[in-house]
Amino acid sequence: MKVNPELIDEIKKYGAFDISACFNCGNCTAVCPLAKEDISFPRKLIRAGHIGLEEKLFSGAEPWHCYYCGECSATCPREAQPGEYMMALRRYQIAKYDITGLSKIFYQNGWLQTCLALGLLGAFYWLYSAYTGDFGALAGKIELAFPVYVTVALGGYLLNMYRHNIVKPLGGIKLSFKPAHIWETFLHGFTQKNFLGCEETDWWRWVSHLLVMTGYTLTLVISNLHLLEPLNKHYGFFSPASLLVWYAGLAIIVGGGSMSLRRMFKSAESSKFSHPSDWLFVVTMFLIGASMLATQYVNVTQGPESALLNGLYRFNIAVETVWILLIVPFTKWIHIFFRPLAVYFQHVKKEAEAGTAFSLSLGK
Amino acid sequence: MDEKLTEASSKDNYRQEPRVGVYVCHCGGNISDIIDVKAVAAALAKYPGVTVAREYAFMCSSNGQDLIAEDIKNLGVNRTVVAACSPSLHELTFRNVLQRAGVNPYLHEHINIREQASWVHKADHDGATAKAIKLAQAGVEKVLRKDALNAIRVAAEPRVAVIGGGAAGMRAALSAAGKGLEAVILEKGPRLGGKLLELGKMYPSGEEGPAAAKKLEDLVLAEPKITVHTGAEIDFVSGFVGNFVINFKKPDGNMAQVKAGALIMATGYEHYKPYKGEFGYGEDANVVTLPEFIGLLKNAPAGRLEYGGREIKSLAMIHCVGSRQVEGVHKPQADGKVNDYCSRVCCTAALHTANQLKDKYPGVRVYDIYRDIRTYGMKHEEYYDKASRDNVLFIRHNEADQPAVTSDRSGHTVKVKDVLTWGEELELKADLLVLVTGLMPADISLIKSQLKLPSSADRFLQEVHPKLRPVELANSGIFVAGTAQYPMDVTEAMASAGTAAAKAGILLAEPDIPLEPFVAVVDEHKCTGCGLCPPECSYDGALTMGEKNGKKIAVVNPALCKGCGACVAVCPERAIDVAGWTLDQFDAMVDAIAKE
Repeated sequence: MKVNPELIDEIKKYGAFDISACFNCGNCTAVCPLAKEDISFPRKLIRAGHIGLEEKLFSGAEPWHCYYCGECSATCPREAQPGEYMMALRRYQIAKYDITGLSKIFYQNGWLQTCLALGLLGAFYWLYSAYTGDFGALAGKIELAFPVYVTVALGGYLLNMYRHNIVKPLGGIKLSFKPAHIWETFLHGFTQKNFLGCEETDWWRWVSHLLVMTGYTLTLVISNLHLLEPLNKHYGFFSPASLLVWYAGLAIIVGGGSMSLRRMFKSAESSKFSHPSDWLFVVTMFLIGASMLATQYVNVTQGPESALLNGLYRFNIAVETVWILLIVPFTKWIHIFFRPLAVYFQHVKKEAEAGTAFSLSLGK
Repeated sequence: MDEKLTEASSKDNYRQEPRVGVYVCHCGGNISDIIDVKAVAAALAKYPGVTVAREYAFMCSSNGQDLIAEDIKNLGVNRTVVAACSPSLHELTFRNVLQRAGVNPYLHEHINIREQASWVHKADHDGATAKAIKLAQAGVEKVLRKDALNAIRVAAEPRVAVIGGGAAGMRAALSAAGKGLEAVILEKGPRLGGKLLELGKMYPSGEEGPAAAKKLEDLVLAEPKITVHTGAEIDFVSGFVGNFVINFKKPDGNMAQVKAGALIMATGYEHYKPYKGEFGYGEDANVVTLPEFIGLLKNAPAGRLEYGGREIKSLAMIHCVGSRQVEGVHKPQADGKVNDYCSRVCCTAALHTANQLKDKYPGVRVYDIYRDIRTYGMKHEEYYDKASRDNVLFIRHNEADQPAVTSDRSGHTVKVKDVLTWGEELELKADLLVLVTGLMPADISLIKSQLKLPSSADRFLQEVHPKLRPVELANSGIFVAGTAQYPMDVTEAMASAGTAAAKAGILLAEPDIPLEPFVAVVDEHKCTGCGLCPPECSYDGALTMGEKNGKKIAVVNPALCKGCGACVAVCPERAIDVAGWTLDQFDAMVDAIAKE
């Protein structure tokens, strides 16, 4: 293996760690409650960073098994911030798997993405406000276009992750169809089950994340299926659509709000270092929840004819548009898929080693 | 040994009727938990020749010592047996008691019933008690046959000869002069300074080696008590404690002589020289040793690091070259042995150099290929810290997996199995290889063989005991300073040199040197002059054949004799004895133990 000590300079652009201080003692791996014999981190990945083993760094799913409980950073005798290094690796992998190359530019120039997001938000709000036709119908079309765009934008990531994790190292297409594996993949995806394996479980962080995640998924369902037509219908406070919105909106505001506060006060190891993209992610999500909630509230109290509702709804759709165009494809949003897939790939690797995986050889 | 102790005993105790006092120590339970000490004292009280027998909790305490002193005063006790711990621990304590009470201190016998009875027979209390009684009775028999002895005194030259004029040698001479002693430095090189002259910036002070050498040299030359002979080639060294003679050749070819009471060996080290082809050394121009690289770095202009006209953008340091060698992996040295010792200072020196390099040329990529990093000194860990923060890449290999180097025009390719990268073989390119070479003792085989100096397995001079007598050689009056003993840095060498000088100062504090009286004594009447004993003697000049009153007999030089008893064993006439340990005494002890 050829040594490439320059690589670390590139990875350093993705996070505030100092692994040149690392002397390979391995305390980080020893205290990590999630590292296992076959999924060993952070030490091995730090070493791979030292000597520049690029392949090891972006073909391993290890970063997605880490939930940044911060035990390693708190234990590190050299204050090398191994937890933040793992975070940086996740950003690095996202940038590497992104076929457009935009993630890399955004991660390395955090404020560019923020400025762009603000600009786009203003532009779309202005554009939607200027629209004189039936905005309710237009919104329906926009919202129905979201899933298509998202699928296209994210497909590249997933294919790349699969290629680097499975196809290249295992020499072909390998899959596992065991129900237990598929069930576990979904379970992890929805509950962050592994996070509970962290030694001193940060329950509030887990609950916040669960709130945000469920609220966000609901929002996704509401908007992508175009369940709301606030300009055309008058919803009752307890109508089914309203109940969905109350939950989704409040969950995002409470969960996202608490996450923002933690970042602001740097109350835990995991919230000590905030990349601009982290802020952009949290704030935009917060805006989605708040604008949706406000729209629905005004609809319920003032009816669909309200001028305030008109403005709010346009703002809500504008935020969603920016979110879908700029945030979803180019930030950590993708971790929604990467984390459960990392669990799934681990199963596939074991099955492949045992020779029991569904297999489709390529070439040779 | 304490000379006051030997001013001794003007009283001629041994002509008096022997009155033996026996003292059995409990050693705070160490002895009395196993051995019935009252029974031992009772049995000894009845033994012929014993005036009084007592037992006490701690004989070594001042109360215990007073017991003996009072018995000497009140009961006329004039010989003592203390049955207690090991004689190496407290024999001297009780000799001093006798001394203070006006009895010859050598009329004491120390019997060890702790290590030799209570500790080794924990399960057999009766057996241990019986054994203690026998041992104590044998002690009585021995002490009854003892003669009053007096320390041997040797007139000493009031001068220290320091062999070697490097950092340690100059420091030792200065310290000795500070104590008021005359010192003579014999340096083979053309000027003082030794290896200091080659060094660059030294850790931890950052002072330049030659500047430090100059400082010491100025002090030495300004000191009227110190004589310096540079360019001195030692020809023959002989003598014994207090009376060493060194013959040497001066640069002008004339012979000269120095007489000294003590010798300080400050003969230093040589850098390990890699053999031709070791990691390409001697074959490829871009392979240098760390000392060579330090010289290169000292004179290199800022901006661009060059060697042999080529820019050096990357370099790899390989540690443990010539140190910590492993049989079967490394090529043995001239004597057939590998250097399996750690040279101690090279890790810190290498990192210190890497840091200077990084300060001067931050763009140069540095690889550090090591087995273990041993930056053992006070705060030396910081050198590692700085190096790692400056992105020096550390690669660690096992002793059996030596780095493999191939070289071509584009530079060196090093392949090494890295322990830290889960044993993967890493490949790296380097423009320059720096071999971090170890230290070997300077060649002093001539002096070693003439003075019979002891060496360790690593060929360095060996001290008597690393903790208790760290700068003394087994040869009385010869001390070791600095890296002649083992690899050390300048700081450590200076400390060791100061200690050696202090020890020499203590030895030469008075005009004559007291020596233990336990030396071989020849009975002129019994000796037949057969000549069997001198070949057995391990100490040159201690036992020779001579003539007395026209009769050929063996003659002992008490200053050189160590009292080992090798001569006693071969004498067919029982004509030689070691004073204090005579054959008659041993016969009586054996009889006492064997008696039913």
